[in-house]
Amino acid sequence: MTGRVVLRTGLLATAVLALPLIFMPDRDFANTGAVASDDKSGATHKSGTVHSIPGEFKQAGVCARCHVVSVLEWSVSGHVAAETNCRNCHGESRGHVENERNEVKPDHLPRGEAIARQICADCHQTGCPTTLRSQSCQKCHHVHALINPSEPATSTTVDSRLEQLLSRWKQFENRMAEAEQYVSLQKFQAAQVVYRKALELIPGNHSAQRDLDMCIRRLNPELPGFVVVGRDFDSPTGLPREVRVVDLDVSMLLGSPGEFDIGRDELPDSRPAHTVRVAAFYLGQYEVTQSQWQEVMGDNPSVHQGPDFPDASRMPVDHVSWHDCQEFLRRLNARISGAGFRLPTEAEWEYACLAGGVKMTAGSDPASSPDRFAWFRSNSLLLGRSEQSFLPIDAYAPRPVGMKQPNRWNFYDMRGNVAEWCSSLVRPYLYDAEDGRESVSASGMRVVRGGSFSDAAVSLNPAGRHSERPHRRLRWNGFRLARDVPHVPPTGGVTGDSE
Amino acid sequence: MACEFSRRRLLCQGANAALAAGIPLTGALADTNTNPKPIDEYRRSGMLYRRLGGTDLFVSALSFGSHINSAHRVKVKHGSTLDKRGQDRRDRHIARAMDYGVNMVDTYENAGQWQPLAKLVSSRRDRVLVSMCRQFPEFVGANIDDAARLFGHVDLYRIYVGDGDHVDDRILEDWDAMRRAKQAGKVRAIGISTHSERMMVSALDELEGLDYIMFPYNFIHARADYIDVLPKAIRQQVGLIAIKPLAAGSIVKLDPKAPPGSTPENTQVQLYRGNNRPLLPAIVEKLTESLKRLPDESLCQAALRFVYSQSFITSAMPGMFQAHEVDDNYAALQRQLELSQVELDVLDAARMLCSARGPGWLPAHYRWLDQHWRV
Repeated sequence: MTGRVVLRTGLLATAVLALPLIFMPDRDFANTGAVASDDKSGATHKSGTVHSIPGEFKQAGVCARCHVVSVLEWSVSGHVAAETNCRNCHGESRGHVENERNEVKPDHLPRGEAIARQICADCHQTGCPTTLRSQSCQKCHHVHALINPSEPATSTTVDSRLEQLLSRWKQFENRMAEAEQYVSLQKFQAAQVVYRKALELIPGNHSAQRDLDMCIRRLNPELPGFVVVGRDFDSPTGLPREVRVVDLDVSMLLGSPGEFDIGRDELPDSRPAHTVRVAAFYLGQYEVTQSQWQEVMGDNPSVHQGPDFPDASRMPVDHVSWHDCQEFLRRLNARISGAGFRLPTEAEWEYACLAGGVKMTAGSDPASSPDRFAWFRSNSLLLGRSEQSFLPIDAYAPRPVGMKQPNRWNFYDMRGNVAEWCSSLVRPYLYDAEDGRESVSASGMRVVRGGSFSDAAVSLNPAGRHSERPHRRLRWNGFRLARDVPHVPPTGGVTGDSE
Repeated sequence: MACEFSRRRLLCQGANAALAAGIPLTGALADTNTNPKPIDEYRRSGMLYRRLGGTDLFVSALSFGSHINSAHRVKVKHGSTLDKRGQDRRDRHIARAMDYGVNMVDTYENAGQWQPLAKLVSSRRDRVLVSMCRQFPEFVGANIDDAARLFGHVDLYRIYVGDGDHVDDRILEDWDAMRRAKQAGKVRAIGISTHSERMMVSALDELEGLDYIMFPYNFIHARADYIDVLPKAIRQQVGLIAIKPLAAGSIVKLDPKAPPGSTPENTQVQLYRGNNRPLLPAIVEKLTESLKRLPDESLCQAALRFVYSQSFITSAMPGMFQAHEVDDNYAALQRQLELSQVELDVLDAARMLCSARGPGWLPAHYRWLDQHWRV
């Protein structure tokens, strides 16, 4: 019981002593140079506009999104000026940063005397300046060295500061609740104003910032290079679910940000299944067709065209190499405002194919026979060829896009028809977008996903990984477009009101 | 009779010694960077088993080839098959070979051949490696599915890639389908067969996941060095399976001790009897004399032992039409693998004889091979 009281008192003291920082958001701490930006810390595409974040929050980077109090402690103690940062004690902790469900602990979590021995002693080599002790610093100091022994907090100041802090926190919570009500009523202009006020109370709060961004997008849903189709918006991000590429008849759907388990342990090249995080992206609802290719490139390399294929213009382009796709994207990006078109990563592809994460092997579920949603070898025979024996590959062909049922996210032909190039180099799992496998300039085999009209049903597994040399053209390889979410206007630049 | 020192012998024996010792090949056979893994092998009940390249398959040094006896051949729409008597004979020979420990059986012309083999191996499927070739013109993916349905899975599947200089788009498409089938677990090892060294080199460069190559390899042909392809294949851990180890049966006809009843296909070649008197009496004399010094071994056995002794060859795959051929080919494995000087002399004499005869030492429909085998 006593321990709990002490702990509670310690936390309260921690919070109270953080108040000056909250009230002085522009307090200028020495820039230690220990930048922990999103990129450096490995955070995966957590979008959000920066909103007058105090210096120590900038330095703490992604860590500050959750560990607000710890960052404050760190900054109050003066360790900020001593050129320390989170990684000095906790390591890179990429797994911890990327896993928002907190299932992965930081790389290092020193405890007890190890803190004094391994960390404090690095700088305080002669021991504590006050007590001259060199062990068990936590007898006097909080683990993040909040308490400054030279200015011990009195019970009066603690009470007063605590009151202010609690009051401020209460206000923040009220603002958030108020804003959420506006959001539920589709009053995004009002919600935006309230979220801004909430952020003034707790600068840099991750939830408030995210929701503010969502409101901004809802107020101004237009995205460069896209025409918004319909009024269906993604709740967490405020992004339109369906868009159409300007001047090109390509429909793209939003892949909501989230986590899913990529891979499948039963497949040798796809193990182990593991969780990856995917940022918001747009993906073509259909494979790129021959007419779309013709419009951008001025030619048509497809094998399946000519008099035998009257619907060729609506059929997916085939016989294209990965390099051909890159040239297509280069021309498209030069033509469309905002650019940013690319091939999907294999993580994005699988995420979209699974419509967010439901595992469904073709043929494993009688209710979802592959025949209903995919063109594959068993249903891709050309008319008049079924009676022959020893059928050559010419007897099979892809079909116009969108003729089968879509998946739950409305993507057509993710499996079958033509196999689809992805941007990724083929490398063993675990999938890590930052390890160079998404480099466009690197050499190596590129991932092809989804199976094709020439494959048996078993090869349509969403987790199945195939690869091919990037210069190679095969009659069953095509692709679909992907695009990052185009740049969102700055937080302060919104004037529209859709209410 | 002194053994002639040849570059081929130097290279082959040097490579064998290096491989056996587990040291990297150097000089003409390999880069200094190569570090070929010694081929894993073991013996069991008189049979030698070797690992097929980098796969987990162990193949008997003697495997059962796909050629079928022309005396019982029946033409069908796609390829040819055997009449009932011929099929019964083949089944008996395969069963006999399996009793000796042969664990791989090849089929080439699948029309009518797959079903009898499936029936034959069904009771010992886990101990037999089924080697199959794509039945042209069927699409490879569908062909593999047919085979997998019949056999449960296919152990080795190959395409004949022709004898050109390089793999073309059609081959690349077939190969892509084969890789997918392997990923799907329908095939355990994928490979090619060809008679062209340049095609082999191209395949090693272009075909990802190539597990093995079937190529003609015997003691006679002058290009036995395969100087470009062998180091590359060993470095890439690609298995090498010798087809035509007896030169499509032609070597039988060089052997004056060939048992009566041998029915090789090259009936035109008569070096010892009949109307064609020996044209090259000196060479024939040399061969005959050498063979007399091999009382317990036939020329065919010496020829096969030449192939067995090459440790980079996983398996020799002769066609076997007669029971005694199965016995003899197995018996050739019972000696120590290294060839004796007498055996080398015999093979030298036979090589000289064939060289002097020109392409005529091969059966009519295989004489084109002579061009591949001469520098």
